[in-house]
Formats: sequence, structure tokens, C-alpha cells
Amino acid sequence: MNKVALPVLVGAFFVTPILAMVWTSSAEARLVEAETSPDPSAQAAVAAASDESYCTPELKKILRRVLQSCGLDSSAGGRGCQPLEAKSVAALSGGDFNALFDPLSDRAGIVQFDLDSDALDGSDQALLEKLFADQRGASWFFVVARSSPEGSSEHNRELSQRRGNAVLTHLETAFENPELDQQVGLLQLGEEFAQLSQNYCTWTRSGDPASCTDADLNRSAFVAWIDCRL
Amino acid sequence: MLHTSVFPQGRPRLPRIPRKLAMKLRPALIVFLLAAAAGFTFAAVSTADFVQHLDRQTHSLSCSFVPGLGRDASGSSGCHAALMSPYSSVFRTWLWGGIPTTLAGMAVYAFLFWRAARMALDGKATDKAATTFLLAATGMPVAASIVYGSISAFILGELCKTCAGMYASSAVLAIAAIALVWGARKPSPPPPAEEGDDEAPPENLDAAPAPTPAYGMTFAWGAAEASAFVVAPVLAYLVLAPDFSDKLGQCGELIKPADPAHLFVPLGGPPNGVKAIELIDPLCPSCAAFEDRLAFSGLDARLSRSAVMFPLDNACNWMVGSAVHPGACAISEAVLCAEGDGTKVLAWAFEHGEAIKTASAADPAAAARMVGEAFPGVRGCVGSDKARQRVNRSLRWAVQNQLPIVTPQLFVDGVRLCDEDTDLGLDWALTKMLAGRKEAR
Repeated sequence: MNKVALPVLVGAFFVTPILAMVWTSSAEARLVEAETSPDPSAQAAVAAASDESYCTPELKKILRRVLQSCGLDSSAGGRGCQPLEAKSVAALSGGDFNALFDPLSDRAGIVQFDLDSDALDGSDQALLEKLFADQRGASWFFVVARSSPEGSSEHNRELSQRRGNAVLTHLETAFENPELDQQVGLLQLGEEFAQLSQNYCTWTRSGDPASCTDADLNRSAFVAWIDCRL
Repeated sequence: MLHTSVFPQGRPRLPRIPRKLAMKLRPALIVFLLAAAAGFTFAAVSTADFVQHLDRQTHSLSCSFVPGLGRDASGSSGCHAALMSPYSSVFRTWLWGGIPTTLAGMAVYAFLFWRAARMALDGKATDKAATTFLLAATGMPVAASIVYGSISAFILGELCKTCAGMYASSAVLAIAAIALVWGARKPSPPPPAEEGDDEAPPENLDAAPAPTPAYGMTFAWGAAEASAFVVAPVLAYLVLAPDFSDKLGQCGELIKPADPAHLFVPLGGPPNGVKAIELIDPLCPSCAAFEDRLAFSGLDARLSRSAVMFPLDNACNWMVGSAVHPGACAISEAVLCAEGDGTKVLAWAFEHGEAIKTASAADPAAAARMVGEAFPGVRGCVGSDKARQRVNRSLRWAVQNQLPIVTPQLFVDGVRLCDEDTDLGLDWALTKMLAGRKEAR
């Protein structure tokens, strides 16, 4: 056998085991390297509730205060927040309070009630269900019940509370969601704080679209999912 | 001694091989050597692609009729389908990923090259026993090519170009080996020169009367040599392949595994099996492939499985910026709407995933329409507020458990199977995970 032939024959035998050794060793070296200096970009994102760009630190701070004081935060106990409480925890004017919800124009709706009524008609229920079903990644569902100025403040405060509860009761009936208690929070503002202005006529509303007086807007429950992670 | 023969008239003469043809058959050995080298190269490329995954990372694969070229990182090539299929390796429960079959392929092609080279060097290119053994040995890659080609065509439904290179090499090897055997026949004595025939009398090509071929010895030695060729690299691989035992159970656990809202979709398995939860996107090809691998492993028979819908579609999933799988939200709603028939909807979605996604990319309502046609019972439910809420709550279940945004995911008894173990390492990792757990009594 000549001098060229022998290495060819020997090489043919050893080439496969040598390649197997080289490849496995190389893979193990890369494995060690990847473990010692992991690539952060290779990490998958973790599932989380949504946190939209309008959720500024300042807004979150105010939301947290409102949520805790008004019973939306499950750790705080109680449910619902009276006008004075909402006013004090947020330390805001009515206009500034309403401005908190301005970024939610495409997520919110105004469920309009009849005069001195807390009954939800068909269009009210349909709007409420449509909005609540569109939760996406939101964590909190705000129900801000109001009343128009007719009648006494005390009566209107109690009326707005009944309106908020009517909304909550309907959601519980319609959705059978065990997490509802931890998600839906009520603010009953009566006629005393943060009345809605004509600016809200363009928002999604139930009731007669042709009519949009201040009274129509404030005999209402303002409902919206809040896409902020607190 | 009485001599009997099946040929009472004497052994019939085989057709005479014309001298010129006999001369041409010599290149058969060269063709054989080239085909063995080509087969080895294709097998080596495929093995290298397999072995690189031992670093538990994702890699592009070479998928081309020219070995080493055409690297594909999309994961959609036929080579990827073949490599990730359960047919790409053996002994998968013993070793992470198993032993790649192409490693044995490399060894066989190397053996055939070695054997043919020795025949050439030893002047046995026309040795009847040697060439017959070479033909028999060529049967190994030919048989493997037929089996794997059939699997590729009829089961995987994909063309693996690198594998096709091996099949073609094997076919050429077989043709060359047949030619070598044919050429090894003892040439007949030359006919008497006819008048006017100016051709020189043919030299007796290897015509020294061949001794009776020692077939037994040739085949025995050949088999031993072939075994050595295969055993050596397999042993090297077994010794050096990394051990991933320390990675098991290190990829997280479910924080809140309960299902108070009844969102889990039962996938089957024995009621007393080990509880397993899968996070699934019904239009995710990886999920479909994962289900196939799990079923092929047989380990699903020990699991009592449920699925949680996690569509990677921004129509309902706020955690993804775009519709990775358009239509997945509607199909997830259908799976949840179908109640007891959820697995049927899921199986249908896995089968028609590409068509659903393509149609949904053009028309967002297409998925709901298609699933409604296939399963009329879900028509009134898909798109309803309740169905949307159920999908939303499935997504929120993932949020509560702080799961990575990736599908598929498998949790065995609440412990997450690492993503790196969901393909090649599935059989090994799941076997190990189940070994420490007993079915519910």
C-alpha cells in the first residue's frame, strides 16, 4: 500500500468520530458561553397587563390614590367613593379630575339614565356589555356615576350610588366573572363634583344621540377600562 | 463422489461482456467513490446542523442541493421539518435529542468510501466477493433512503433538500455497485480473431481465473468493519454529548394554576395521569408540531392534559404588537365555544393553520367564517362578548402566572418544561420529569 493510500484509509475511518467529537465539544462550549453571558434580547417578554402610553407616573399616582380610597383596590376593602372622598384623595378640581379620563375617549362610554331613574334600558345594557367585553389588557373598570342637579344633593348622591350599583349588578349578571369584584370600582359623584361638560357629547353614549344637554350627560354612569398597570 | 448439479447440462454461460464495456465499467469505482464522498458530505452537513442544537439555542439550517449552502433561519424549510421530526434520531429517551441517524449515515458512507478505496488500492475492483459485498453494503443507505424518503413524502409532506442529496447519493452508489458486480464477472475468453479484425486480442481483464470467492470471510470481515465504522462515532457522541439534567425544572412554575373560570380545554389522557397544562396558540405551527412530537413520544398517555388558549394575535392579545398568527383570536374563541369538542376544533386548526392565517391576513372575518363552516355549532358563539371574554380571561391567566409570551409551553404538575426541551429534547426531558412524579391515585 503506497504512502498516499494509508492516510486516506485511516482518515476515512476516523473522520466521522473526530467530527462528532468536534461538533459536540463545540456545542458544549457555546452552551457554557451562553450561560455565563446570556443575551438579554433572547429573553421572551413576560405576560403582563397593558400599560398604555397615557399612563404617566403622575396619572398612576393619582389613580392609585383614587383606587385605594374608593375601594377599587382589593386590598383596601369597601367599594365606592363619595364625592368628597374622591375630591380629597385626588386633590383635583372637577375639570382636572375629568381630564384624567380624556385619553380614554375610544375606550369609554357614557351610559345615560332617565330622570331620577337607575334603570338600565336595552341600549344602556348593550353599550355596557360592549365596553366591558372589550377589556383587552386593562386591569381596572371605572364606573363613575353622576346625577344632574335637579333635586337635593343628598338625593342625587344616593341616586348616583344606585346608578353605579345598577351597572355593577348588570355586569355581574351578564358576565359571571369571578374576578369582577377585583376589577370594577365605583365612584358616586352625585351632582357635587366633576360634572360632565358638553365636550363629552362626542363620546360614545347610550340614549338619544340627538339630545345632548348637560342634564343628559350627567344623569349617567361613565364607564371605562383603564389600561394602566399600577 | 456423486456430484449433482442443478445444471445437468453444465453451468450456463453468462452473457459475454464486450471488452469495450468491460473497459468502461472501471469508472464505476470512481463513480462509487465520488457518490460515497457526496453522501458523506450531505450526511455531515445534516449531522452538524443537528449537533449544533446541543447548545440549546436556535440555529439556521443548511437546506440545499449543494451541501452547506442555502442556510435557512425561518424554521419553515423541509430540512427543519425533518430535523425536528421524531425520525431524525434514535434513543431519544436515553439522551437529549437522541443519536442523529445521519451520524450513522456519515459512518456508512465513510465505510463505503473506505471499502471501495481499498478495493481499488488492493486491485480487487473486479473481485466478485468484494464487489458483491459492496453491493450488499450499499443496500444500507439505499434502504434507509427509501424509508426516510417515504417518511419525508408521505408523513412529513416536506422536501428536505439535504436529505434528498443523501438519497441521490445512495441511488448513484447502488447503480455504481451494480455496475461493479457486473464488471466483476469473469470475462469470457476472447473470440477467435476474425479475418480483417485489426483489433488486438483483448488482454484478459483481471481474467486470472478468480479463486472461488470467499464470500463468507468477505462478508464477515466487511460486517465487522462496517460495525466498527458506526460504533466509533456513536460512542464518541455518547461520551461527549452534554448532560442537561441540571436544567430540568429550572424554567419556572405556575404561580396560580387553578382554573376557577373553567377556561381549560381538556386535551385527553387518563384521568389519573400527571396533570399537564399546555399554553397553546391554535394557529401556531410550533404548537402543532409539538403536539405531533408529544403524540409520537407516547408520553402523552401518562398525562392528563388541558390547554389554555394564548393566541398570538393582536386582535385580542394586547401583549403582541402585531398579528403573529392572524385569525388566532377567533379560532381560540371557537375552541372555547366548542366545549367538549374543543380538541376537534384545535386539531382542525392545526391542520388548516396556514390557510386560515392567509385568509385572515386579507380579511379579518375569515377565521370566524371558516371555523363556522367547519363547525356549525360554534357559529353563534364566536365573536360574542362571552367568547371574547373567555379568551381574554385565558390571556389573563397567563398574566397571573407571569408566563413568557411564547407558545407552546408545557407545565407538568405545575413545573414548566424549558423551551429548549420542547423539540429535540422533548422525549428525554419529559421522561425525566415524569420519572419523579406519580400519576394521581
